[in-house]
Formats: sequence, structure tokens, C-alpha cells
Amino acid sequence: MNKIHAMTEPLQASLQYAYTLTEDSDNYGNPVLWLKLEDKRDLLNAARVVANLGGRCVTATAYKTEEGHTLIYHLDIDGILLNIEAYTTDHTIDAITPLLPSADWAEREFREMYGIEPVGHPNNERLFLDESLMKGVLNRYIPLSKMMLGVSESDILWERVEKEKRA
Amino acid sequence: MSERVTIGPFHPELEESVYFKLSANDDKVVTHVDLINGFIHRGMESLVTQKNFMQNLILTERVCSLCSNNHPFAYALAVEKIAGVKVPRRAEALRVVADEVKRAASNLFNLAMLAHLIHHHDLMKETMETRELMQDLKEIIWGNRMDMSANTLTGVKYDLDDEKIDLILKTLETFTPKLASLTEQYEHDEKVVARTVGIGVLPKADALRLGVTGPVARGSGINNDVRVKAPYALYDELKPKVTLRDAGDVHARAMCRLGDITEAVRMIKEVVKNLPEGEIALAKRPHIPAGEATVRVEAPRGELIYYLKTDGTQKPVRMRWKVPTYTNWEALKVMILGSKVSDVTLILNSIDPCISCTER
Amino acid sequence: MEQTVKPRLFRINTGSCNGCDVEFVATAFVPKFHLDQLGVELVDRIEDANILVITGPMTARSQAFFEEAVSKVKPPYVVVGVGTCSVTTGIFRDSYAIYGPLDKYIDVDVNVAGCPPRPQAIAEAIAQGVKILQSKLLDQPMPTKLETIFTDFEAPESYRGRISLDAQKCTACRTCETVCPSGAIKITKTLEGYEHTIWHNTCCFCGNCSYYCPTGAIFTTNDFHTIQRQEEKYTDTHVALIPFHECEDCGKNFIPATEALIHRSYPKEEVPEMLTKSCPECRKRTTFERCYR
Ligand code: SF4
Ligand code: SF4
Ligand code: SF4
Repeated sequence: MNKIHAMTEPLQASLQYAYTLTEDSDNYGNPVLWLKLEDKRDLLNAARVVANLGGRCVTATAYKTEEGHTLIYHLDIDGILLNIEAYTTDHTIDAITPLLPSADWAEREFREMYGIEPVGHPNNERLFLDESLMKGVLNRYIPLSKMMLGVSESDILWERVEKEKRA
Repeated sequence: MSERVTIGPFHPELEESVYFKLSANDDKVVTHVDLINGFIHRGMESLVTQKNFMQNLILTERVCSLCSNNHPFAYALAVEKIAGVKVPRRAEALRVVADEVKRAASNLFNLAMLAHLIHHHDLMKETMETRELMQDLKEIIWGNRMDMSANTLTGVKYDLDDEKIDLILKTLETFTPKLASLTEQYEHDEKVVARTVGIGVLPKADALRLGVTGPVARGSGINNDVRVKAPYALYDELKPKVTLRDAGDVHARAMCRLGDITEAVRMIKEVVKNLPEGEIALAKRPHIPAGEATVRVEAPRGELIYYLKTDGTQKPVRMRWKVPTYTNWEALKVMILGSKVSDVTLILNSIDPCISCTER
Repeated sequence: MEQTVKPRLFRINTGSCNGCDVEFVATAFVPKFHLDQLGVELVDRIEDANILVITGPMTARSQAFFEEAVSKVKPPYVVVGVGTCSVTTGIFRDSYAIYGPLDKYIDVDVNVAGCPPRPQAIAEAIAQGVKILQSKLLDQPMPTKLETIFTDFEAPESYRGRISLDAQKCTACRTCETVCPSGAIKITKTLEGYEHTIWHNTCCFCGNCSYYCPTGAIFTTNDFHTIQRQEEKYTDTHVALIPFHECEDCGKNFIPATEALIHRSYPKEEVPEMLTKSCPECRKRTTFERCYR
């Protein structure tokens, strides 16, 4: 397909380090591209190409791995979905928001959810998390009450139900 | 002299809690906007990894009740992609029916709120009562007015027999003239025009820069409707005609939503009249191996994307989704700056904000 | 209803999915739900309210703002918790961002579970709230039982309301407990058998249990009357015992396959009698012996 080629060609030309690019599709045949970057420094190069092609950042996903964090940027170029995966072991990544303003919230969100700093991001404010919640909450998976008291809210409520049942 | 105005977080004109800090000049024109979010943040991306694939069908539905069908729909598509299964055609058709009924009801609610905010009570009542037709339909066919629980992995949970199809067609027959009357009123009614035309303008260039989607994009002349750009279920064949407007104002966005409802009616009719024979879900529960997938659907407010990563266990390793309001929200700043303070809630409503969706 | 003071209502969303709030708007503005009969006024400032309708599971960020806001309300007032979220935090429970349920932060008078409750139920809950408000104003004793005020509301057959269980069909297989997203089902082992408990106040009425139940034992009814006094919060349960049977061979306790399940596995054939009389282990042994002896 030409449309895909018009995307992958400049994309591949822009990359300086190793990568894998796979072409996939959803269950209905719509193309979905996966670009896995070996070096996160290539992220800006790829983002620049997307910006030049008139694309936008849909959002970004982060998750924790043993060595650090994996980040996946989900980008759209006229209906074609491009997932760019990069990883970081030092809690930083170059922000793409200066190139693609549509990435603004996505980058701020992984900053507060995972404590990964999007370097060069123009906005430093919190997005969703209340000050009573520590940044990086998604790095641990259990709620605070469970961690501090060893019981969950469910345990507490159901205990009352059981008590009333026996009463 | 600049004046500080705060709106929220608990405000009768806001369905959901948000907190605005505005600065306004002597003419009550907004000169600075600060939006504070997070009131509806429920930590859902963490919760979905604590629940199994069956539970998540329902939890995703509770992300937001206005687009509550789109979440399990997209979630199911992601699971099905990873499991490598194909959904029966009848199920695809039934997914479209549920989704378009929901779209119509959701858009009508937003329009009713518009009428409410401009104190046009007759129009508000008329819109709400028209919406009730869809609400009643949902309650009879799916069992709840908001959360339809229509989707399951590899298909749908409900079926339509002749009697129900008849009920749908009859309802649409009553609905259509009411919709036409509403469309006419929102387009031309003096009160509506006076309060919405030229208000909260989002220029096309800004819309592109911020990556907005849905009626907010279409009201500024950009069509990135997923049903058109990357069609799923039966949308490739149904070919939805989307409404585009150039004005980029509150009025344009409202008209795009009305256009969506008209199309929804057409597509529901077409689908239920030609319902494919077959199963409504695969008999075998899918095996979900390790894998990852990104899928997209068009919610009433625009593009919804789901990312799912699995490891072969009964729970997702990571699941993330991004709703239209997430990107449309930043556009609010463009729309509100330079507007009258008295128009702020109206402008907010014009992006049909779904804060529960956005903050998860 | 005779009234001494005008009920003035203010709604607070403490982090809902907006379902309850949207349905509140429908309740308030669509005449068929009768709210106008109560003479309720929706007020703009919380200071003026004497009825608080509260939705949502109380998110971390809402909490401080909530406490600040309700501190401005002058007693006597009535609190109506709308939606399963507000009653027990429902489906969102055990998330790091949820600080509810609501009754940790304010005295609740009436609850209405539902996800979302239908407007008819919300209207009924508000009507009960109005009644309680009058009692509070007149210093009358609180009602110990709520009598339905709007008796003309009906629900379609298919409405997903209160969940029920046919204990005869249940095999205590725990499927419902596993698929229930809100932790509304608990199955515990007792001396006599398995105790199957459904707690309606944390149920989100999704029907997942009945959809996945292999025997059809658990099912939705169209009962939408989930309006209750706060005192009933922990007692609104459906409890059933799935008794053990004694194995005719070894005497151990076991739960036999129920007829409903057997019919699914043996739609046409004759049902082996052994299924209801012997425990799975003895059955395995008998079959083994028959085949290899
Ligand atoms: S009870 Fe259900 S509908 Fe109401 S806010 Fe909670 S999740 Fe949403
Ligand atoms: S109700 Fe159904 S799913 Fe639940 S334990 Fe009984 S048989 Fe199993
Ligand atoms: S309907 Fe069933 S599965 Fe759903 S929350 Fe209630 S008990 Fe649980």
C-alpha cells in the first residue's frame, strides 16, 4: 500500500539506531504499525516525521518492567495507527509535546502515574492525581489502605455483612 | 481591574466535578483559564489489572455511563485481536445497533444540557422527552437505561427477535419526526442562535494542532471519525455520513451531533431490517494468550483507543484507554479565552465533556 | 404530602461515572418521574439546601472539597445516597484513588443502590428523603420502615434489578463469584454446606453472574425497589444454603450436580444415577473399576 509506504519510508530514514518495524492490522484489515526503538533517543526523530506528515498523538501507554519502563506512543496519520515503543531505565524520556502538542496530556500523565520525566515538556502541573496521592502510584498495584492496614475496604465491608447475618 | 472567578467543583450546571479558575476583565471577558482536574480519577487503570477478563467487561462499562457501550466494545475488540478470533456477523450487527442507540441517546443528553444552559426550558424538555424514547428502548431490550451490558468477549449477550425488531422500528418511527423538529429548532431557533453562533470558536488550525476528535473536530471542519477512517464491525458497509461544519463554534458542534443522530437512525434501521443469521457469540470461550493490541472505535464524543497487554493469565497486565475528551479538553482553553464568563459552562458543555472517561 | 418546609435539593458528585448524575437530570426534568409532585426546588448554592443527593464513590480529590462544601449546610438536612457507588463504592472499591464509601464522611439517611438506579427509584428515594426531612423538622421519630410512596411505577420484565438465586439449581461452583465485578457475591463453606450470599448494596446489576452461571441458578429480577434506610445497609442480602450430601459410598460430604446442570451435560441421554448419589472421587473409582476389572 502506498499510503503506508509514504509513512514508513521517511520514518525509517529518520532513525539512527536499531529498530524493528512490523506491519499488522486490526480484525477488520485496518493497518496498524509497530515500531520498536532500541534506543529512546530515536523517539524525537520519529515524532518529527509524524509531525511533518500531519499526524497526531492519540495517547501514550507506560508500564513498568524489571529494568525500568516501557513507553508506547500511539500515533495517528490519517487513519493509520502507528505504535512507537521505547524503553527507559533512568525515568526520563525526551518529550515529544514540543513537536506534537497533542501529546501534552499523555506525557504529563505518565509523569504523574509512573514518575517518568518527559524532558522538555512545557507544562509542569499535575493532571489528575490529588496531592494526597504520591506520584508514581501505578508503579505499585495495591491501594493504600491495603498496604497500611493489611485489609482492603472489601474485607471491612463484608465483615459487617457477615456480622449482621449472624446477629 | 481583573476579577477572579471560580466555578466548581460542585456546581449544579455541571454533571461532573471540575474546577475552573478564571480571570476576567471589566467587560467580564475571560483573560486567563486554569482548569483543575482529577475529581473523578478512580484509579481505573490499576483496577482493571486486579480484575479478570470477565469482570472487566463490566468495569470498563463503568468508565463513563454516557459512552458506556463503547468501552466494553473496544475492550472486547482488543481481546479478540489478541485471541485471534473472529466475531460472528450477527454479533457485529448487534454491536452496531447497541452502539448507535447509545450514540443517539448520548448526543441528545448533551443537546438537552445546551438548551438547559441557555435557559430554553421548552427545548430542553422536548429534547429530554425525545431521549426518553431511546431510554425506554434500552431498558426493554438491554435491561438498563444507561449500562446496556450488550457486549461479551467474542460477541454480544443479547439477541433480537421479530418482536423486538418491531419495537425498535416503531420507536424509530415515533422518534424521527421529533428529531427533525429538534434539528430545525437547534439550527434556527432565535434563542439558540443568539447564544451559540460565534461562541467558543475553535479554529481549524488549533483543532489540528491539538488533535481533537469527534463532533469537536467535525465542527471545525475535520473528519477523523474512526467509523470512516478505520472502519470496524459493519461500518465499512454502512458507510456513515458524517456532518461537517466550518464555524467551529458551539452551534456547529451541536449540529454535528444532530447529524450523527440522524445517521444513527438510518443505520439502526438498515441493520435490524437485514439482521444476518447466525450465532450471537462464539460457543467456546476464547483462550487469551500473551500479546498486545491497540484498537479504536468512535464513541459519541470521538475517537476511543484501547491498548491491551496480556501474559496468558486471566487478568490484563496493562490496559490503557484514551477517550476523546482527553484531547478535546485542551481545546477548551482556546475556546474560552476571550469569551464572556457567562458563556463558560455553555462552552464546556459544547465539547460534551466526559470527565469520568478522561480521568478514569 | 403535607409539608412544613420547602425541600431544597443540591446534588454533589463525588467522582461518579456520571450515570447516576445523568439519571438524576432525567428524574428532575422528565415529568413522568413525578419529582414535581414533591415540590422540590433545585438550589444553586449548597448553603440553601436541606436535601443533599450524593453520587459517586468519593475519590481522593473530591474528599476535602466535599467536607468543606457540606460543612456549610445547616441542619436539619437529609442525605440521600444515590447509586451503588455511594452506598458501598461498588465496582470501584479497593482502588488507591477511592476514599469512600460516603457514610465515612457524612450521616446518610436514605440509600438507593443501582448502577445507575432508574429514575423511578431515584424519585422514590428523594420522596423518602423529603418525608424524613419533615420528621426531622417536626422532631418526630424516624420511620423504621419505608413505605413505597410512588406506587404506580412499573418496570419491564427484562429490567435488570435485584439478583436472586434458586438454591435448588446451584452447585456452588463459584463461577458467579469469579465473574462478579463488584464483589457482591460470597460463597463460604459451613458445616452444612456452602452458603451463597448476594449483597444487593454492592451489586451493580450487570447480570454477569446470570450470564455465566452454568446452571441458571442465579438470575436477575425486575425488582428495582432498592431504596433503604441507612440502617439496612448491611442487611439487604440474599442468603441461601447449598447443602452437602453424604456420599453413599464413602460417607464424605459433597455437592451433587444439580438437575439443571445434568440436563446441560446429558441433554438426551439417561442420567447416570451415580451422579447424585456418589461424590466425584467415588464416581471416578467406580468408573475406573468398571472399565478395567
Ligand atoms: S453507581 Fe454505577 S452508574 Fe452510578 S456512578 Fe457508580 S458506577 Fe456510575
Ligand atoms: S449460582 Fe450458578 S455460578 Fe453461582 S455458584 Fe451457583 S451454580 Fe455456580
Ligand atoms: S449482577 Fe451479579 S455479577 Fe453483576 S454485580 Fe450483581 S451480583 Fe455481581
